[in-house]
Amino acid sequence: MTTPYFEEEDFTTKFNGRTILRILSQVKTHWQWIIGFVLMIALVSILDSYFTFLSKRIIDEGIVAGDQFALRSIVTQYGLLILVQAAGVFGFIYLAGILGERVRYDLRQKMFNHLQDLSLSYYNRTPVGWIMSRVTSDAERVAELVTWGLLDITWGLMNIATATYFMIRINWRLGLIVFAIIPILVIVAAEFKKKIIIEFRKVRKINSKITGAYNENITGVRVVKAFGREDRNMNEFGELTSEMYRAGYRAAWLSALFLPTVQIISAFALGSIVWYGGLQATVGNLTIGGIQAFVSYVVFMIWPIQEMARVYAEMQQAIASAERIFSLIDAEPDIKDLPEAVDPGTIQGDIVYKHVDFQYEDDDPVLEDFNLHIKQGETIALVGPTGGGKTTIINLLGRFFEPTQGQILLNGRDYKELSLNAIQSRIGVVLQTPYLFSGTILENIRYGKLEANDEEIEKAAKLAGAHEFIVNLEKGYQEEVGEGGNLLSVGQKQLISLARAVLRAPEIFIMDEATSSVDTLTEALIQKGMENLMEGRTSFVIAHRLSTIRRADRILVIESGKITEMGTHAELLRQRGHYYRLYTSQFRSELEREYQPFQAATVATD
Amino acid sequence: MTTSIDLRETISDKPLIGLFRLMRDFRLIYLGAALSLGVAAAARSGTYLLLGQFADNILGGETAAQSLPLVALGFLGLAGVTGVFTFISGTLAARTSESIAQRLRNYIYDHIQRLTFSYHDQTKTGELIQRSTSDIDAVRRFFAEQAIGAGRIFLLFIVNLAALLYLNWQLALYSIVVVPFTVLMSFFFFRQVSKAYEAYQEQDAVLSNTLQENLTGVRVVKAFARQAFERDKFDVENWEKFTRGKRLLLMHSLYWPISDILTGGQMLAGFTIGAIMAINGDISVGTYLSYAGMVIWIIWPIRNLGRLIVQMSSGMVSFKRITKVIQQEREPLCEGDYTPADCLRGQIIFENVSFAYEEDNPVLQDINFRCEPGQIVALIGSTGSGKTTLANLLPRFYEYTSGRITLDGVELKRYPRNYLRGQIGVVEQEPFLFSRTIRENITYGIDREVSEDEIITAAKAAAVHESITSFPNEYDTLVGEKGVTLSGGQKQRLAIARTIIKDPCILILDDATSSVDIETETEIRAALEGLMEDRTTFIIAHRIQSVMIADLIIVLDGGRVVQIGSHEELLSQEGAYRKIFDIQTRIEAELEKEIASVEKLAS
Repeated sequence: MTTPYFEEEDFTTKFNGRTILRILSQVKTHWQWIIGFVLMIALVSILDSYFTFLSKRIIDEGIVAGDQFALRSIVTQYGLLILVQAAGVFGFIYLAGILGERVRYDLRQKMFNHLQDLSLSYYNRTPVGWIMSRVTSDAERVAELVTWGLLDITWGLMNIATATYFMIRINWRLGLIVFAIIPILVIVAAEFKKKIIIEFRKVRKINSKITGAYNENITGVRVVKAFGREDRNMNEFGELTSEMYRAGYRAAWLSALFLPTVQIISAFALGSIVWYGGLQATVGNLTIGGIQAFVSYVVFMIWPIQEMARVYAEMQQAIASAERIFSLIDAEPDIKDLPEAVDPGTIQGDIVYKHVDFQYEDDDPVLEDFNLHIKQGETIALVGPTGGGKTTIINLLGRFFEPTQGQILLNGRDYKELSLNAIQSRIGVVLQTPYLFSGTILENIRYGKLEANDEEIEKAAKLAGAHEFIVNLEKGYQEEVGEGGNLLSVGQKQLISLARAVLRAPEIFIMDEATSSVDTLTEALIQKGMENLMEGRTSFVIAHRLSTIRRADRILVIESGKITEMGTHAELLRQRGHYYRLYTSQFRSELEREYQPFQAATVATD
Repeated sequence: MTTSIDLRETISDKPLIGLFRLMRDFRLIYLGAALSLGVAAAARSGTYLLLGQFADNILGGETAAQSLPLVALGFLGLAGVTGVFTFISGTLAARTSESIAQRLRNYIYDHIQRLTFSYHDQTKTGELIQRSTSDIDAVRRFFAEQAIGAGRIFLLFIVNLAALLYLNWQLALYSIVVVPFTVLMSFFFFRQVSKAYEAYQEQDAVLSNTLQENLTGVRVVKAFARQAFERDKFDVENWEKFTRGKRLLLMHSLYWPISDILTGGQMLAGFTIGAIMAINGDISVGTYLSYAGMVIWIIWPIRNLGRLIVQMSSGMVSFKRITKVIQQEREPLCEGDYTPADCLRGQIIFENVSFAYEEDNPVLQDINFRCEPGQIVALIGSTGSGKTTLANLLPRFYEYTSGRITLDGVELKRYPRNYLRGQIGVVEQEPFLFSRTIRENITYGIDREVSEDEIITAAKAAAVHESITSFPNEYDTLVGEKGVTLSGGQKQRLAIARTIIKDPCILILDDATSSVDIETETEIRAALEGLMEDRTTFIIAHRIQSVMIADLIIVLDGGRVVQIGSHEELLSQEGAYRKIFDIQTRIEAELEKEIASVEKLAS
């Protein structure tokens, strides 16, 4: 379900001063770098204008005056300043660039670190893609703004200021005329850029539709063919690309109009220089070099204006990015240690759910007045339909979520009095779809106990029944598991996650059995590993396999947030209720898988 | 709008030739864009020439006061010409690049949906997506930015150099000494930079993966309380990206000042020589002014040429990749000479049919059977026995490699593919639905207008109407990411409704009731039974319960028929089918025994 909250393009339209201050406070530790590159770019910018002034002097004091000596001294000064400017260029690229990288690094790390503290409820309501964009593109935009954005603004302002200074120094009247045109240029340019950005945003939106259309038509190509939809799809897609053509063309058209418009406006300044300057020159108030200098200043003034307009337009986006980043950083974890939280050293003992209510966000209640008493060392099997609340019961136990009402007692104490770490570091969890991290098998098992040595890991793998298949792999424990463990089969992943849990030596063991089929041999290994883990520990299993169910001390049938049946396997079978139906259908499909009638039959006939 | 051309004709081994052919209908427009740039450059040079004239002949002259407004107007006019032609060039280039992009997008889209099943079996979705999005965009940028940008630099250089040569050829030649060096340097630099940039991007991907894994694996991280460990892990990759970014920046921070010194030095040298020549009277002050203005436009833009060349070459690589897809053969949908006017009766005969994806590796061998109109044929066998492939031969998704299939007495290959697919309905095991509304998904397969009643009737027949009305927007509810998530059973019943409304003569059902609960299974079964009436139906079965109703059961193994006949016939024979049946009976017996034993134990 998408909410407007996760719209990619949401955007503040107003200029938000507080956000800007907060962005600045993020980078204030690097103030030396910022001052450094601002000074450097100011130097470069001043020299840019000064070079034009020197060119004027070459003409006036050198050529027109016919003074070789003066020419030599001006040229020498010019040459030396080129070297100084080059140093300045090196300085600002280096300082601003590296600072930019540093700011990106800081922002990413800050967000990532904060994400680790957030509760599962945050992840339930926030799509992974949304978080990814915050950490990648938004961090990028903010870093751009505080480095190159700031740099370009400084450069532009300094450039205009120094150019104006030199123009006024050469001829103040003419200088003021040119200066009067600047605000017009700036406003026109900024408005233009805003429009252009809006157009490009449209292009991006259509583009993502196009990508979506491709994606769907490629993944669904077999249906397309089966229904002979090719022509109609093509017509629909053609409309989309025509829309794209219009938007893309319009964006390009506006961009193409931008520079010429600015240039033509500045040409009026050029015309007035020639006209008025020419008159001034005839009365001796302006030299030839002066006119040349004015022409250069005006011609090149469009660059700083263009840059400033760009930064101004992008700044809005960057501020919106910053707001989204801050919203992530400001998100409070729902589950936190209470100030007086303690670590009792162990959480062994009875587990009691006392009048527990629970609901995810604003959804319907999942558990209502749920009560359960589990004795130390018991093995509990949870069965029942999906959505009935089985997963919620174990999520609450691990305190990944907390009851909205009621209490959960561990060894007689409300578990909110304990620290999160005290609970979570003593619970071993094996998920239904086991998740592994890219890296080697060894690294993945070690995740259960970071300081474990190789022998301990091997021992855990043996106990979990994973050792055999691991050593049969080409690189053994050093085998890469791929992204999310994708290079391994589901069964193998489960064995490794069992080993990971064994290594952890938890006091409470929680397992969500896989529903997907695993080959018989692996299945047996998993069963053995589970047995080893459950030995002497309080265990909760969301059970799908008959053997697991039969072995449990107590079976709970959970439906619509309630325990509808509870007892041992034999007791429940005799009731001929839900459990009976579940069990018989499971019995059939499990045996069918085991006997593999097709294979058995055809092998026999060969 | 673009006229459509068959892009297969544009293919060439040399990407530049291919790109040129791709430009058909737009070559003149693009040439116009380039020429406009030339005009703009010439007008700009004209401004500086006029400035020279102004300094030499008008300034301080007798008629200065009268001529000044004219000269000022001249400047304004030249600026106008520069502006207008720059704009024209921009729009023409945009028209070319956007049209070519549209041409590619449309062609590739259509091409992909007409490629064969085998091609799609072998090609990853992500690859095709990349061809059709980022690679096409790279070609668009080639025309919109890179080629035109390089052309602009080139024209500025040529036009201004010509003007300089006209002013004073010695001075002109002195002024371009560093140009070859600058071009070479920028070319090598940007090639290096693009490598460093790739390394930076690679690390970016690594970092994104690390983040993504952390986010998707958040349950594991929490369950093991490994937050600190994850922070360190991310920090390592994050820092590596910082380091690579620093390297990239160091390269930039060295290149630009060095090239500044080179070009700045060249300019200063030119100024100095020009000034000395002016002092000696070899050139006029006005000539010097023109020179000083124009030389800037020769030297500074050159520094970006290397960047454009490097980017152009990556655009060409993208184009080559697109070409590879275009080269693939399409499935000829209309090929075939027999399209009956009436509905098909559905008599199907397989005679010694074999099929292989690759030679020497047959998937189906010597298949023989005959089914009469309206019969139900069940195909059973283990995974990989060839039952799905056999069914896929009927709509000509794959072409049988030998033997003969006849449909109503006519060889299957004589029926055009699009005709067959219109007559055959397929319900897959895991149906694919589109992110459209439920209504659009149900009517996906039909071309004609359908009434609301017809849609509801189909949905009711497929036992999915009730689920649909429970959604907030009923039939207008979006399916997928932006709408509702459907359960496996709901998806399957929607797919059945989609097939019911298509009203095909022949039906292929991939029986997939294994993934749904018992109640849904009964509903789906009822829906299917209605659908199968009076239609020749092929059921790809996974369990014996689903095949008992069939008129003809074909037991497949390793691509061969092991047994064929009705349920009763097969049961009375010694063979695979009876063994399967026995096993399933045994399971039931074991279940009963187990329950009895438990009850006895408990009592």
